[in-house]
Amino acid sequence: MPKRLWMLFCRSRVGRSIFRVGLPTSNLERMQAAVSSFVLHIHPAKVHARTLKFSTTLGLGLISLYLFIILAATGALLMFYYVPATDQAYQSMKDLEFVVTAGQVVRNIHSWAAHLMIVFVVLHMCRVFYTAAYKPPREFNWLIGLGLFLLTLGLSFTGYLLPWDQLAYWAITVGTGIAGYAPLVGDKMKFILLGGHTVGQAALIRFYVLHVVALPAVMVILIAIHLWRVRRDGGLARPEEPEPTPQQMPAIALPQTKTYGLMELARGTTPSVGAPADDLVFTWPNLLFREILIFLFVFALVLVPAILWNAPLEEIANPVYPPNPAKAPWYFLGLQELVSHSAFWGGVVVPGLIVTALAVLPYLDRKPRGVGVWFSGQRKVAITIFTVCLLTMLTLTVIGRWFRGPNWALQAPWKPYVAAEERRP
Amino acid sequence: MSEGTGGNLNRRDFIRLTFGWAAALFATGASAAAGARFMIPNVLYEPDRRYKALKPDDYPEGVTFIAEIRTFLIRNGDKFRAVSAVCTHLGCTVNLSADGKGFHCPCHGSQFDENGAVVSGPAPKSLPWPAVSLSRDGRLVIDASQQVPPSQALVI
Amino acid sequence: MTETSPRNLYPWFPVLGLVVGALVIVAYYKDQFREWKEWQHAYIQQELARAATPTQKAAAARIPVEVRQILLPGLDRVDRCETCHLVVDDASYAGFQQPLAYHVNHDRHPFEKFGCTICHQGQGRATTREAAHGQVAHWDRPMLPMKYIESACAKCHLPSDVPGAPRLARGQALFDQLGCIGCHKLHGVGGVIGPELDTVGATRSPDWLAEHFKSPATVTAGSAMPPVAVNDADLEALTLYMLSLTGEPMSDYYVSMKTLPGLEAGRRLFAEKGCIGCHSIGGQGGKVGPPLDEVGKRHDAQWIIAHFRNPQAVTPGSVMPRFSFTEQEIRSLTDFLLTNTASSMISSLKIPALMTPIERGREAYVKYGCTGCHGQDANTGIRNPNAKTAQQVPGLKFVSEGYTKDELKKRILGGQKEIVKLDPQGPQPPLYMPAWRSRIAEGELNDLVEYLMSLVPKSEQEKEAF
Repeated sequence: MPKRLWMLFCRSRVGRSIFRVGLPTSNLERMQAAVSSFVLHIHPAKVHARTLKFSTTLGLGLISLYLFIILAATGALLMFYYVPATDQAYQSMKDLEFVVTAGQVVRNIHSWAAHLMIVFVVLHMCRVFYTAAYKPPREFNWLIGLGLFLLTLGLSFTGYLLPWDQLAYWAITVGTGIAGYAPLVGDKMKFILLGGHTVGQAALIRFYVLHVVALPAVMVILIAIHLWRVRRDGGLARPEEPEPTPQQMPAIALPQTKTYGLMELARGTTPSVGAPADDLVFTWPNLLFREILIFLFVFALVLVPAILWNAPLEEIANPVYPPNPAKAPWYFLGLQELVSHSAFWGGVVVPGLIVTALAVLPYLDRKPRGVGVWFSGQRKVAITIFTVCLLTMLTLTVIGRWFRGPNWALQAPWKPYVAAEERRP
Repeated sequence: MSEGTGGNLNRRDFIRLTFGWAAALFATGASAAAGARFMIPNVLYEPDRRYKALKPDDYPEGVTFIAEIRTFLIRNGDKFRAVSAVCTHLGCTVNLSADGKGFHCPCHGSQFDENGAVVSGPAPKSLPWPAVSLSRDGRLVIDASQQVPPSQALVI
Repeated sequence: MTETSPRNLYPWFPVLGLVVGALVIVAYYKDQFREWKEWQHAYIQQELARAATPTQKAAAARIPVEVRQILLPGLDRVDRCETCHLVVDDASYAGFQQPLAYHVNHDRHPFEKFGCTICHQGQGRATTREAAHGQVAHWDRPMLPMKYIESACAKCHLPSDVPGAPRLARGQALFDQLGCIGCHKLHGVGGVIGPELDTVGATRSPDWLAEHFKSPATVTAGSAMPPVAVNDADLEALTLYMLSLTGEPMSDYYVSMKTLPGLEAGRRLFAEKGCIGCHSIGGQGGKVGPPLDEVGKRHDAQWIIAHFRNPQAVTPGSVMPRFSFTEQEIRSLTDFLLTNTASSMISSLKIPALMTPIERGREAYVKYGCTGCHGQDANTGIRNPNAKTAQQVPGLKFVSEGYTKDELKKRILGGQKEIVKLDPQGPQPPLYMPAWRSRIAEGELNDLVEYLMSLVPKSEQEKEAF
């Protein structure tokens, strides 16, 4: 009965003005659906069969995108209760915990999704590296991806301050302190970021606007360009296939619709006309169905820890007395570990080198070896270098997180890391 | 060329898809419902609708304006009544008329008589009379969530 | 190419959809079963059971189940304690078990103006028992044990003034007597050897404070503070007084009653305002105005209050100034005058103009906390490890034999930072004589020196004992 009503609506004038194409029942309609819908047309009408295989990308980019959407949704909900003023921020967090229905849960989802997004964005970057999917013509997309990575860190960092508790306040004090070490521009950058010399009301409102408006806006734009470039660069990176010899090309009867014809004829890693289409499958339903499943999976993935573990909230921020030790958010702990040895090398040189190396990578490593192949034997050097750097950063982060205690002294990981009853006089 | 599933669904797939969409819509609906309930505030950062005033003897004979809740308290011997001073037109605070009987609103000129009924002006309905009661520790309680007729009074 | 068809993935669709739906429901309902709802239901059941008439039953049935809060913008707080403690203002619940019990003695501090946490501490915004009572990690101010509740009075009132808080007054009196101010600064006055005490009530727990008084060196390694040797009741009073020092600024409305009408406040005002300059008691004092001996027998309270408000209106031609007293201060002075101006009481008033220099010197000795190091009797100083002076702060009984008045004044003003060591290889003695240069007034200094010079023991026996 409801289906009948729905079909009636779809065929009415009002319905037809909204949904120009009904549920597809033919290949033509499948093509048209992908192209004519605003939401769907980010996809091409047809994708290579490889796109559907899980092992191609492990869906990491898609998961990152879904996490961003979940963060935007829960973030919007939280904005209805959170107040970005130093004398009300902490109190509004307590209100979310105690008197807002599902307040704690929404906050937990937001917090877990944020941490998971950083993890998955890094994993996605690793996947792209290990399958050499940054090589031409995809260099620029890699750069955009790098920008997205930095934006993800920035969003997490700006959001970290908002609860205005001891954890937030001192993590940001440490984090902006590291940023201040950049040569020439470091101090000025820190001053503009904080709106002053210390973390106070000015910093809170700037971080809030960055977190809620500025960075998400840039993020959305870059995501859009990133996804568009995937299409423009010919879909997901895949190994070269031998060019068909002209005799192998069967005669093709070009149908009348121009759009139909172009899409049928594209093949290879770049769009080309006049070659037979093969290995291409319709986006609807093959890709779309898998994407829906992955979304449900991601949502479940975020809900489970959100139910089990509450996002932390410590004492209200005390600008005079830090906890001992004061640690940056976990994704900056590797840097903090380096900085504890040398502010210049750890705070400026190493991060600078990392970002620069990642940025110039696709312009230096241009030989089309091993594209679309996991851990290709033709790229041993590149893979080794990357893996070594990755493991180093991971080790530094682990040390910073579990092996550093009061006064940043080395200690066993099972000891609690904050000094107990470190009260002031 | 891969075929879609249009038209050739076997029953097993059909059931799976239907249940799948039902489950997905259920999950979406549950999330939306939870989100909607999230939006409804459980505590208000406003003065309580049930306002605790002073003890009855602290109020003089006649009309006293309680600014915090924009209400007139009217004492007639040991009879207490309360009338809202919020104009029913668009919410301005009405003033007591010069003769002490009735109210008028300075914003758009609505006039109310001593029972709060509209005499003239754009106000659509009469001023509401919140219920007055006595709390357990002997103070007047003006409950804006309960309306009573103008003649009803608390008798001490 | 059917391997790309999502057909084999179809079973996952309903499974995942149901899993997500179930998780959303669990996540939402985790929030719904809040413990305060149980208490509110229990309360409604009780009210229904007590209801005698149908109207009462209807009223009980209408009681809503919701979070109740008291907004306190003047105190920068929100207290939600009433969500469980529903009947704090209902006397018919007196003596019942918490949380549905009556709160005695609340009429002078109505809940909607004061809330709960301003006195009891705890986490007002919380709605679970543990979190609200503050016995959770990351909450610095858990609920005060009831035996320390008087410490909260000092947030708005003067400790010596509060009729319902005798132990708080005792605590302050002990603090003054024991000379703590000699090493610790409070409200900007005091020594610098130990830490300032202005916020000690906010940063230390009651247990820590009590332990610290009993044995400072155990609690704070390297402390030179001697154990405070008082009985248990006094120890509690001292801890209470320390807890009252929170350094919280209170807004005008709340400190308007700082001076509660009372004898102590009246006595203090009488001494401070210099009434003795014009009036006399027991023959001592000024002659401009009439003597105040037993003034309560000649005038009643109303007359005295009116006279304070406007002396010229009550006594035309009077030259008594119109002091801008608050109502509370007028009442305190009136209380005092009505009860305490017997001629014999004059000495207990401790009016500086009527005291001898030696008496004033003794007052200064206590006021600046000299008792803290040199002892109540100025003879038994506290321990000062490795100090040449018998490892103690020196007694002052024989100071007149070692110093002239000028030398003594210089020593008090200049202090002595470096104390001579008993064992040159040992550690520096922790206590030293501070410089009182910018802190003691010249008149007080002279009086103090007079007092110290007068300490010479009078009899041979005393000399022997020393």
